[in-house]
Amino acid sequence: MNIMTIHPSPSSGRTGLQYQSEKTQRLLPIGAPLVDQRLQGGIAQDGLHEFFAADHSDATAAAAFAMLMALRLPETATHILWVSGDKERQASGRLYAAGLAQMGADPARLLMVQAPDVRDALRAAADGIRSKAAGAVILEAQGHARLIDLTSTRRLVLAAREAGVLALLVRGDAVPMPSAAITRWQVRSAPSLPLPGNVPGFATFDINLLRHRGGIAPFAARVTWDHGDKIFHDAPLSGGLSASSAGGTTDPELRRQSA
Amino acid sequence: MRLVACDTAALGLGMTPGMALADARARVPDLAVFDHDPQADRQLLEWLADGCERYTPSCALDPPQGLILDISGCAHIFGGTEAALARDLKMRMRHHGLTARVALGATPDSARAKARFGVRTINALPVRALDCDAKVHNALERAGLKTIGDLAGRPRAAFAARFGKDCGRRLARLLEEEDPRITPRRAVPVIRVTLNFAEPVARTQDVMAAITHLAQQGAILLQERGEGGRRFEISLFRSDGHVARLAVDTGTPTRDAALLDRLFGERIDTLSDPLDPGFGYDMIHMTVPRSESLVPVQAGLESKVDIKAEKAALTDRLSVRLGPERIRHFHTGNSHIPERAAFERPAQAGLPSTSWATPQMQEPQMRPFRLFDPPQPVEVTALLPDGPPRQFRWRRHVHLVHSVEGPERIVAEWWRRPAGHEPGKGGPTRDYYRVEDSEGRRFWLFRHGLYGETGDPRWYLHGLFA
Repeated sequence: MNIMTIHPSPSSGRTGLQYQSEKTQRLLPIGAPLVDQRLQGGIAQDGLHEFFAADHSDATAAAAFAMLMALRLPETATHILWVSGDKERQASGRLYAAGLAQMGADPARLLMVQAPDVRDALRAAADGIRSKAAGAVILEAQGHARLIDLTSTRRLVLAAREAGVLALLVRGDAVPMPSAAITRWQVRSAPSLPLPGNVPGFATFDINLLRHRGGIAPFAARVTWDHGDKIFHDAPLSGGLSASSAGGTTDPELRRQSA
Repeated sequence: MRLVACDTAALGLGMTPGMALADARARVPDLAVFDHDPQADRQLLEWLADGCERYTPSCALDPPQGLILDISGCAHIFGGTEAALARDLKMRMRHHGLTARVALGATPDSARAKARFGVRTINALPVRALDCDAKVHNALERAGLKTIGDLAGRPRAAFAARFGKDCGRRLARLLEEEDPRITPRRAVPVIRVTLNFAEPVARTQDVMAAITHLAQQGAILLQERGEGGRRFEISLFRSDGHVARLAVDTGTPTRDAALLDRLFGERIDTLSDPLDPGFGYDMIHMTVPRSESLVPVQAGLESKVDIKAEKAALTDRLSVRLGPERIRHFHTGNSHIPERAAFERPAQAGLPSTSWATPQMQEPQMRPFRLFDPPQPVEVTALLPDGPPRQFRWRRHVHLVHSVEGPERIVAEWWRRPAGHEPGKGGPTRDYYRVEDSEGRRFWLFRHGLYGETGDPRWYLHGLFA
């Protein structure tokens, strides 16, 4: 297996899995000031991040949010590698390039990989991360996937750090399992601010930071995507809630730890 | 029922092809008879032809029982003489329990006739070897011209005038005066490198080492031509005659031996049924059936990563492992029908489209993030028959519509239909609605057909927005 050859860089040494201090970390700001303030600048640009759906019908929102995070990367010639399986395509349709173009993506920079199963998808993602062609690698594996565990995610984390690639793991409606990802998010599709004439507005998400390896407290926020500037903006939470701590109660792993 | 073919023993007993089965049984009651299976005969011939590619890349089938090999310039591998090659071929055929009659000739026709009639010289061939009409053969024999040798000395013009131009040409080909090239069953590759083994190799590591060596040799040959291969094939010749073929395709022309080595390693790893070396491979070929020009380029002074090359390498690698159709690019389609407006094609087949519509600043997204193909049927409740949906049921879940935009009317491509220009025959029009439900999820629904166009239009969910 090629994945076996990944080694942490010598400098990371024994503390290879520890969240590194901000000085060495390149951070990718989300754009929404309230969220970035909470995140102390943004999410690690060379790390693995997980996106879970709040509900099985939010799987598309989780996938779309991951794609938009990849679009947040500064414009370069590198590609975005989207790895998914036969199962995901069957359940939630294919990526629609005309729609992606309207979201601000350049479909010419997207490379689609449809793997037959999770094992091949993981290998393809690892290859993509190590290849210098990809600036971001998105792996979509919905539902129960036993192969996506602490070991396989750690491999992805180490490969991403070494290559400086943004690795995003879309887990859809899966139950959160232990993983080495730097952040874990829960994404839910949120009502958009209607445009004049009660017309559905811009893409809006309720995001919920479930855990952060750097010790940032969980919080919830509502953000809306601006495809013109490729940036997220803060959107008011309905019911007068501000971006406040929502606790980690929705994450079974955290719940187990605190118990 | 009649006999189609007999083996040597049967021929010895007086059986001949074409004989009635009843007659044959009457003469030899315990005759072993099998059903004629032309398909299997053909497959055996193909299999033999595969094996014969160890001698030459140019090999043609001569059904029902013949193979024609063009061995020009191929004999040096077998000790330099054609006769040594023929001996080797005969020996291998015997190992398979096949009786082969091998004949060498300067033209395919003369070799074929010599093998078929079992004679050593052209002059000794009977006139039937011309393979013309039976009438022609009879006429010649009646005139006392029994062999090709008899015909060879005679004036050719008179022969052609009497029996036709076609017979004249056949005679010229038999007499090795005219050389028609054979049409090989597989295209003769641009480049072919061969490795022979005195002892058959069986271990995968040894095979890989041989492939590495061949890739290096092939790279040198490609460099001399200023070309890079788009497809590379490895043929593994097992000592018992079986041939295994492995092929890798690359998205861009390449002659990078290290890359080829990796791709073939990947290919062997992902074989659904692993290589069966049996008693070992005694010959390995690498051919380059497809190549394109590849000019050396100067690398920049700064150590910049060549993203194009990196991407091509990644695409090739994944394509070899997962299959080329699983690694895809996006392309624009020349159509306003949503599912045809954007589609995917294998990344190795070419570069992606670059002409995508740029997003409108103030407009929300009009096209979904994901598209269902085919669209998913939904049950919709609307206040008015041709109005926007109020609620819909998809995957056993009811969604209440909170806000809606539409319809965006997309007419069917009537010009694709036989009588599409006539009213009502252009196909159902679609009315698309962009819909947000009470929980904040955004959908793309359409009604397939207007009221009046179809009796009871169905509703479908075509896509999901971010």
